Amino acid sequence: MDVFLKLLTGILQEGLVYGIMALGTYVTYQVLHFPDLSVEGTFPLGACVAGAMIASGLSPWLACAAAFACGAAAGGVTGFLHVKLHITDLLSGILTMTGLWSVNLAVTGGSAVLAFYNRPTVYTTGPAALIPASRNSLRALAVAAAFCVLMKLLLDRFLRTKSGLLLRAAGDNPRFAVALGKDPGNQMILGLMLGNGLAALAGCILCQREESADIFSGTGMIVMGLAAVIIGISLFSGIRFLKATTAVVFGAILYRGVLVAALQLGLPTNYLKLLMAVLLTAVLVGNNARFAQKGGKRDVSRTEL
Amino acid sequence: MMTNKLKQAAAAALAVLLCAAFPACASAPASSAAPGSSAGSSQKAPKKIGVLQYAVNASLDNCYTGFRKGLAESGYEEGKNLTLEFQNSQADASNAKMMAKTMVSKQYDLVMGIATPAAMALYGAAKSTDIPTIFTAISDPVAAGLVQSLQKPGGNCTGSSDVLPLEGQMKMIRAFLPKAKKIGVLHTTSEPNSTSSLKTFEKLAPKYGFEIVEIGVTGPSDVEPSVKTLIAKGVDCINNFTDNNVVNHLSALLQAANEAKIPIFGSEVEQVKDGCLASVSIDFVALGEETGKMAAKVLDGAADPAQTPVYTVRSGVPVYNKQTLSKLGLSLPAGYAGAKDVAG
Repeated sequence: MDVFLKLLTGILQEGLVYGIMALGTYVTYQVLHFPDLSVEGTFPLGACVAGAMIASGLSPWLACAAAFACGAAAGGVTGFLHVKLHITDLLSGILTMTGLWSVNLAVTGGSAVLAFYNRPTVYTTGPAALIPASRNSLRALAVAAAFCVLMKLLLDRFLRTKSGLLLRAAGDNPRFAVALGKDPGNQMILGLMLGNGLAALAGCILCQREESADIFSGTGMIVMGLAAVIIGISLFSGIRFLKATTAVVFGAILYRGVLVAALQLGLPTNYLKLLMAVLLTAVLVGNNARFAQKGGKRDVSRTEL
Repeated sequence: MMTNKLKQAAAAALAVLLCAAFPACASAPASSAAPGSSAGSSQKAPKKIGVLQYAVNASLDNCYTGFRKGLAESGYEEGKNLTLEFQNSQADASNAKMMAKTMVSKQYDLVMGIATPAAMALYGAAKSTDIPTIFTAISDPVAAGLVQSLQKPGGNCTGSSDVLPLEGQMKMIRAFLPKAKKIGVLHTTSEPNSTSSLKTFEKLAPKYGFEIVEIGVTGPSDVEPSVKTLIAKGVDCINNFTDNNVVNHLSALLQAANEAKIPIFGSEVEQVKDGCLASVSIDFVALGEETGKMAAKVLDGAADPAQTPVYTVRSGVPVYNKQTLSKLGLSLPAGYAGAKDVAG
């Protein structure tokens, strides 16, 4: 039972950290309808920035802020490419992601794995130190939960502000934003900055747990983020009191859970990615079927989630 | 009818989920029942080990074979008093991390990482627990941050290191190619092993009258164009390190080198078997064996990883491939008459 509990704690801890990234994906994918591929570069960017800063003796908390800022800047580049230079959404993301590979290597000083074992991290300093070091996994869980909940609340709050409402308008109905005399393009850039800032923050918090930053850690993050959003929104959107942002975090936890469970069941590593694809397809198809069951055709295309 | 089917599907899904939870809970009593059935009084208490290998690669596989051999020689036999969980992360760092965390969650008595990224993932996951980490097939554990020094690791982590016998290798290249000037080297920038080998190689080069032409690659897709660039730069031969990414694409290297009629020197015997000209190489089975014995001592409680010096192999034995030798129109140099031909 103890092992099961430990596995569960691990899943929750990782799920909550990936949940932060999923919140970002929620903003870009669900609110702005922007398929943002730059996450694959901004997630490791956050890790590399944090790694470089902590390795050189700076505060891990400062590193979190810096990671968010760097991620937001990179997201701004994607937005700039798309909105100002009129490059298609997918391509702008790909360009940023590709460029960030070199940036990340430059940040880590040329090595792809930057270890900072036994340096202070957000898991060992500040409020986290209140929990005794012997309860290590509890500590990690508490830190991850605190960051995730804080980011969720801040995001909820932001989406209710005037700027946040404009952001939603820019995604749902750009003409409405124009009618208000606002440029939806700027809102889109803002949303991308927010989304990538959150992705970088997730990368930063995750790497501090492992005490090493890895430029490969971005691989699979797009799928991870999208899966969390799609699973979360599809499975939990029926629950009234649950906000979409909460649903997305649940989605991230569930997704990690399925992966770990699959490995526990003895699924060979080679089939993990296939499982991810099958899982996503199942959720999407199930979701469509549910809407069809509720009676009546929706006047929205089925390919548009 | 429809709802019945749905219910069945839901029940099946639930069963799958329960299965996911169940073996984790059930594994403990099952293994504790095992020693009672095999009533050997001299047998050591049963242990569980998690082994994480970074990628599929002949020399890493040899390490694992040796590791099991070493454990068996020290009284830990698989199926008797040893449960081994073996995972291969397929050269994916995020897989490695997830597997490492899972292994640590399962509270194994010891975890062992083969190749640097696997060992780093395990150490990162296990360092906050009391599970010792053992590593093997790592060139520079100090640079990777796994140990403070080779003599006194300091943390709950030790193992074996294979410092490539680079000087022996360069001496051999000189003997095979007396007129060569430039040695081409491909290295993956994300593999600390290769970077540190390269530094040593560059330092040694002037002593033997060589110039090193190096190209850093970042991933699998860079290997082929980079080797062609190397050849275009007029290198007289190519030398490999124990670079996972480069070695996994050896066939691309061999094809390009065969076209240009220049030899490739491997970093271990498996590469020479596959068509490299020669190598002064390390016996990875023996390396794994030593590591297995080391792990057994830690399991016995007879050794503290923090105080156990890293076992380092520095000397290698020369091997060559006769087929490649004759294809290139070369002959075996005088000093290497005793080298073993490993051509398949």
